[in-house]
Amino acid sequence: MQDQVNTILQSFGWVIPEIILCSAFLIILVAGLFRLQRVVLLTLALITFASVGAAIVTDLYTTSPTLFGMMHTDGVSSFVKMLINISALLTCVLSIRNKGVHRSEYFAFLVAIVFGAHLLVMTTNFLLIFISIEIISISSYVLAGYFFDKKSAEGSLKYFLFGSVSAAVMLYGFSFLYGFTGSIDFATNEFVSSLASSENSLTYLALFFVLAGFLFKISSAPMHFWAPDVYESAPAPVVAFLSTVPKLAGLTVLLKFLFTINLGGQSPLDWQFYITCVAILTITVGNFAALKQTNVKRMMAYSSIAQSGFLMIGLIVFLPQGVEFFLFYASVYVVSNFLVFALINSFEISGTTTIAEYSGTGKIFVLTNVLLLVGLISLTGLPPTAGFTAKLFVFSALWAGFQQSGNTILITLLVVGLLNTVVSLFYYLRIPYYAFLKNGKPAISHNILSFENLLGAILVLVLLILFFQPGLLMSWINKINFVL
Amino acid sequence: MQNILSFLILVPLLGSLAALLIPSKKVSAFRWLALGAVCVQLVLFVLLLRNYQPEIGLQFIEQRLWISLDLGSWGVLKADYLLGVDGMSLPLVGLSIFIMLIACISSWHTLSNVKGYFSLLLLLNASIIGTFTAVDFLLFYLFFEFMLLPMFFLIGIWGGARREYASIKFFLYTLLGSILILIVLIGLYLSVNDPSGAGGLVHTFNMIHMANPANYISNTILDPNNMITIGPLSARAWAFLFLFFGFAIKLPMVPLHTWLPDAHVDASTPVSIILAALLLKIGAYGLLRIVYPIFPEAAVQFSTMVAVFGVVSILYGALAAMASKDLKRMIAYSSVSHMGFVLLGLASVTTEGVTGAVYQMLSHGILSGMLFILAGVLYDRTADRSIRNYSGLASKMPLYFVTVLIAFFASLGLPAFSGFIAEVMVLLGAFKSNAHNGLIHESLAVLATIGLIFGAAYFLWAIQRMFFGPFDVKGVAKKLELPDLDNRELLMLIPPCIITFIFGVYPQPLLDFINPFASDFVNHVITQAKILSAHP
Repeated sequence: MQDQVNTILQSFGWVIPEIILCSAFLIILVAGLFRLQRVVLLTLALITFASVGAAIVTDLYTTSPTLFGMMHTDGVSSFVKMLINISALLTCVLSIRNKGVHRSEYFAFLVAIVFGAHLLVMTTNFLLIFISIEIISISSYVLAGYFFDKKSAEGSLKYFLFGSVSAAVMLYGFSFLYGFTGSIDFATNEFVSSLASSENSLTYLALFFVLAGFLFKISSAPMHFWAPDVYESAPAPVVAFLSTVPKLAGLTVLLKFLFTINLGGQSPLDWQFYITCVAILTITVGNFAALKQTNVKRMMAYSSIAQSGFLMIGLIVFLPQGVEFFLFYASVYVVSNFLVFALINSFEISGTTTIAEYSGTGKIFVLTNVLLLVGLISLTGLPPTAGFTAKLFVFSALWAGFQQSGNTILITLLVVGLLNTVVSLFYYLRIPYYAFLKNGKPAISHNILSFENLLGAILVLVLLILFFQPGLLMSWINKINFVL
Repeated sequence: MQNILSFLILVPLLGSLAALLIPSKKVSAFRWLALGAVCVQLVLFVLLLRNYQPEIGLQFIEQRLWISLDLGSWGVLKADYLLGVDGMSLPLVGLSIFIMLIACISSWHTLSNVKGYFSLLLLLNASIIGTFTAVDFLLFYLFFEFMLLPMFFLIGIWGGARREYASIKFFLYTLLGSILILIVLIGLYLSVNDPSGAGGLVHTFNMIHMANPANYISNTILDPNNMITIGPLSARAWAFLFLFFGFAIKLPMVPLHTWLPDAHVDASTPVSIILAALLLKIGAYGLLRIVYPIFPEAAVQFSTMVAVFGVVSILYGALAAMASKDLKRMIAYSSVSHMGFVLLGLASVTTEGVTGAVYQMLSHGILSGMLFILAGVLYDRTADRSIRNYSGLASKMPLYFVTVLIAFFASLGLPAFSGFIAEVMVLLGAFKSNAHNGLIHESLAVLATIGLIFGAAYFLWAIQRMFFGPFDVKGVAKKLELPDLDNRELLMLIPPCIITFIFGVYPQPLLDFINPFASDFVNHVITQAKILSAHP
């Protein structure tokens, strides 16, 4: 008993960021009771994310199991946690001018989602995975409805229904896996060896169930149907948040899960093939569906679906380099995504929500639209932005994976993925196309977007620097020791 | 002297940044800034020319480490800021500067959003020069892609009636091409090792290393000593085809040319000039600089295919030009036809053919620039480009008639003009090829010669319809005055007239540049192809 208490107390050293988040959640909720100024709440949230981020960065490379193996601190999870906190920080900054989000719960839910995401990236335990996914989901359902109008409620409800069903399916899969392997932690040898010796085809069904749950969280096809409705009806900062934080957390746990069930390539089921098919489907569905959209956020929803597919490329080659490139891609994705959403948000506040309404804005808000153009170009993956470097890296991983395994589906993904870039350019370019090429009368006629311009300029600078000197980030990622 | 190529790229780049700082009301400042930047480039180019030594190949090399990434067990990824010029790229750099000068003068009266226009023009200038001087594949790709955005906006904002459609079409086609190139780019750098890397594996983007089969890491997909087949073809053959079609879109080659007429018709005159004179050359440049040297054995294997595409482009382009009702569209199709000669010369892999191909690139650069200026002259006066709406212009605009006559006759390959030299050399190479290296059959050369006759037909027919007979102007232009060429237009038109004449009667100075390059090129491709095809 004494030993256990001691272990728990020692483990607290590794979960300081999570403890900060927990306390911050409570503090912000309580602070809401005192009718404080919105600035105070915002500052509280900013301080929380900044300090959590700092706490993570100080020991980014430590590897240690904590709390009886319920959680593992390792390089990959720490890096993803850092990205998550940066995203949360940017979300708060984005929310500064959004009038609708003044309540304390808004910030409390952001903190809660970040907390859930932290747990999700650190654990390999089925129970904790389920709990953390539910923490993320329930808070997201509320945030998705934060416009408090009919449309917002509809989006939120759809999200809730889809989310509950997929969580149920995943839980069902967990219960099967527990039954077959006798282990509730997929990182244990017990789980791996029983999986390797399992001849029961139901095991694979259960694995597919679990994967379905993860694919839902990262809004990957064929589990993507919720995303467009939710994105369209939620406030832009929330959309920016939902398109990064749960996605990155989901991808990280998917990464660990895939590396386990692939059994080092010994699995009787060719997982590489199936997941590559999912990625091809995701990229294609996302890009082609985005072509027809008229609402900016709906288009960005499909874009984020397609980006999930690109993010998955780093996982499916089953190489350590693939993981490194996944982390690079994820970082660039966070920056480009927030750049685009920061500017979309500024247009949204002034009532510009459809692509056609951007007509003529390029002549008045030159700088804003140029910054937006850079962000969209980066999402497309064209030089001279870091988006190109990230695409180059993940596709290099794919080529190397093909070289190693000879699995032709990988080269198919390479060709399909790159050709999809052309498709994606078509819709990413539609906003600049309307803004610069079409004539129109914008809803606002004078430049009031100075704050977003500053934020945008900083993010653009990051994208350019990462293009010309990718080594700055890669040398950081390189030091991560990838252990499952 | 040391960093002269960097300065060539930096001057327009800085000019473009400077343009952003000038308040947009000072319209004439932007014109003078752009013109000044190009003049500085011209001075730098003259310096470059004086110090160029034809006997050594690549020179004025600048090498700086750009990206060096440690990828663990994969070794190191290395990209250099590597610039250099040789006998092919130096004349092309000269052509770029000359055309940019003309484009600046031609844009002098641009009215709307002058600030944006000239900063994009300078940005385009920098990336074109960069493309012609980069020797590192990643750097090349960077410049290559970076041309798209300025071009997209230049067509899309300052273009004609269907400018939006044309700009999107241009962008998507070219991006499709560059994606095909990117796929091979990734494969190449993962397969090539930098021999100067001390012991360890250094993945490099250096084109010179890529062209040397000894630098390939064994058992990689593109390793020439270890053929991996994907479907019916070897991996290297696929890579060749991807790269070939990627650049052929830009060239443009029939049947991938459909973006060109639309882009030309709807682009403004200076943008059309740049598009035809420079951007098309980049497709051909890519084939000469990258595709053939890196995949010589596949190039030899597919030489008949390349030649057939070339001949089809020549014939189809000429026929389509003949059927065009719009003057600009006719000139655009004539470009397709002329660039077909570049493909044919390249496919022959003979010194004559390759020299002719490069000569054709330069000659067509100057002539197509001129043709689009001439089309622009008419459009500026009447806003109407239909050939059949004009007749008897010769009496009304004598100076215009003379320059059109020179440009058209030079373009159709009349002796004493540069086009003649280029086309004759290409045809010589094509006829010689079968006996010399057995790559392409003589019948293709015969067909290409027939293309010359079609070429003469559409140019002469256009002259006959528009300039001869009684003076008459139909359509919207009916009541307008038709003044002859003014001084600004003469300033743009006289230099190309002189240049095409000089290179038509005295080609030797230019051949001194191209010939060493061409013989090295042919030598490399043929010998490497023999060695590599000898492998099982």
